Amino acid sequence: MQSIKHRAFILLSVVALLLIMGSAAFAQDVQQMRVVWWGSQARHDRTIAVVEMYETEHPEVDIVYEFANFNDYWTLMNTQAAGGELACVMQQDYAYLSEWARNGLLMPLDSFVESGAIDLSAADDVYIAGGRTDGQLFGVSLGTNSQSIIIDVDAFEAAGVELPALDWTWDDFEAIALQLHESLGTWAYGSPSLGDDQIWTAMMVSLGLTPFNEDGTALGFSDDQPIIDHFSRLLRLQEAGAIMTPEEASQYATGPENSPIVVGAAAMQYQWSNQVVAIFAAAGGERHLRLWPMPRPATAVGAANYLKPSMFFSISSTCAMPDVAADFINFFTNSVEANAILAAERGVPISSTIRESLLPTLDATGIETFTFLETVAEFASPIFPPNPPGYNDIRNNVWIPLFHDPVLYGQIPVEEGVTLFRSEAEAILSAN
Amino acid sequence: MSEPSAVLTGLNPPETSASEPRAKRKSKDFKRNNAVGYLFISPWLIGFFLFAFIPIAISLYLAFTNYHLLRGGEWVGLDNFERMFTSDIRYGRSVIATFKYVLTAVPLRLIFALAVALLLNTKRHGVYWFRAAYYIPSVIGGSVAVAVMWRQLFGGDGRVNEGVINTFIGVLGFERVNWFGNPDTAIWTLILLAIWQFGSPMLIFLAGLRQIPAELYEAASIDGAHGWQKFIGVTLPLLTPIIFFNFIMQMIAGFRVFTQAFVITGGNPLDSTLFYALYLYRRAFNDFQMGYASAMAWVLLLIIAFFTLISFRLSKYWVFYETKEG
Repeated sequence: MQSIKHRAFILLSVVALLLIMGSAAFAQDVQQMRVVWWGSQARHDRTIAVVEMYETEHPEVDIVYEFANFNDYWTLMNTQAAGGELACVMQQDYAYLSEWARNGLLMPLDSFVESGAIDLSAADDVYIAGGRTDGQLFGVSLGTNSQSIIIDVDAFEAAGVELPALDWTWDDFEAIALQLHESLGTWAYGSPSLGDDQIWTAMMVSLGLTPFNEDGTALGFSDDQPIIDHFSRLLRLQEAGAIMTPEEASQYATGPENSPIVVGAAAMQYQWSNQVVAIFAAAGGERHLRLWPMPRPATAVGAANYLKPSMFFSISSTCAMPDVAADFINFFTNSVEANAILAAERGVPISSTIRESLLPTLDATGIETFTFLETVAEFASPIFPPNPPGYNDIRNNVWIPLFHDPVLYGQIPVEEGVTLFRSEAEAILSAN
Repeated sequence: MSEPSAVLTGLNPPETSASEPRAKRKSKDFKRNNAVGYLFISPWLIGFFLFAFIPIAISLYLAFTNYHLLRGGEWVGLDNFERMFTSDIRYGRSVIATFKYVLTAVPLRLIFALAVALLLNTKRHGVYWFRAAYYIPSVIGGSVAVAVMWRQLFGGDGRVNEGVINTFIGVLGFERVNWFGNPDTAIWTLILLAIWQFGSPMLIFLAGLRQIPAELYEAASIDGAHGWQKFIGVTLPLLTPIIFFNFIMQMIAGFRVFTQAFVITGGNPLDSTLFYALYLYRRAFNDFQMGYASAMAWVLLLIIAFFTLISFRLSKYWVFYETKEG
């Protein structure tokens, strides 16, 4: 009995071993490469279609993809980075790019660009520059983006308010908001908050300053007055009922179809230009929504708008097949067929050839976005350096909970909030 | 050196050598049986060491480092604890929010559970059905689905997606409440959810009520006690061990509250529902400050241990054990 069992066991082990060896040998014919991104369902569908298109053209490459929403994505990526299991091609964000590059997790791409493996000849440098950290290119921009105020032209007409100039100031904004509120009775401006940390950074750009100093060890400005002025203005507008308080804004369910400008509760709304598609779609074709540049402080020396890469593709430093990864990124950037599917969902493409190829296919929303970015490109301020490590900590644990919320809820005076913000932010930055 | 060993061997009485083989075999059997036993529990052992003991040990080490998931870290001694207690404003807020929750939700849930258990401890028609029905919220109450439902119940203001609660309040002629936007009311939506999940303490109370001997009630009736007097004089004292048990379990669960705040309020507004476990999670998985988050976790353990210990110490003043007295 026992010997029969024994033999059966040995036989089974041998079979299992052969199977494992066989499959390993078989797998060598096809190269497996992982690609990861974050985004919405629309982005997943389009990206998967392009991944499949690449696989048909390159049967020797098998692409394994993962995707998630923004927050889960970064939890996943950080965990994988800690475990040394990063995907070859990963989507990167401007906020994290330099931190990841400096931690040696990303591969410099300059050699691929020089050799033409990633062909960026059709892209102006202003679209590429955002991917550089310490003089080296670590990410290829997948689309360009800028901040905007969505304006409901019909509401402006109904209120008899003229559309603002392209270089309007926050003083103009206040006057217009009060006028709109008075004649329409609705809010002039809905959520999301005009005290967003990215509005603060935009304000610094237009003042010719940077949010952080060069080494990322301190704030890049010494005068808090512009922030104090801005938040005092927001409090005045809240008081007048022209903009939502955070309490009122919390009642609006998330999702573009619930946003105040879509339901007709507000005439203006702040949004990144690559995210307006969903709002325009939810609002429907008969509404006249336009994109306007960001207002500037009265003492501005330049535009509050800058061109920001909405996201990048980067190659992780542990990637075993960087050439394939580079070729995939090149395909994503320069293939007309691929971009016809992607349809500028990640922002306006950096290649002028691709932009031209897309123009005839655009709908009204696409045309509005493309022309807005072309307008902005004419006067945009240069983008500030990538955020230093700890930026997220500052945003999540200082700007919003210690300054923004308590001030706009009226719990502490603006000056006190700004002082607290500065001391807490500098404490975090000083660790860099 | 060889001399002592010679002495030792000399000490071995020759008589025992006869019984030695049997003893040896016995211990061999014992060892083999032990090995088999360990083999049988090895799935659990491996799981325990891999997924519980080792991570716990690592987190204790991390608590004394500034380990960041991406940037790595180094030994910082007690810095994390110093930061928690002296400079982290949000930490203070999270402790306050958690205590507020524990101090209200736990007693209210226990009172509610006891009240319902008393109602169901009667021989009425359909009482079994009610017992099952009231237990269901406890089974599903911790789930994300219920949290999402809760959000919809209390959400809205009458303009967009009005919640049922506000519709009801509106019908009754009261002013609608912005439950989640107001820092005073947001935490109460979570406390209400906690009270609604009274099922598991209720079942334990029911079992406890069954244990109380009927003759005590009969004796009380003969002495002329009314319903309320019976409750105060008989039910409550005899139920104190059960109350104590429920209290400890619910308190520990209360300190660890997470899902509801994570899904329903996200810690908002103004950090009024930023519970300890939620803030810990945010520090670990949004800010990736694993060292600091580990330190927070160990402090939470100490807080829970401290209050459990205090409760046990105080229990001798109010918990009545029948067996001890008898």
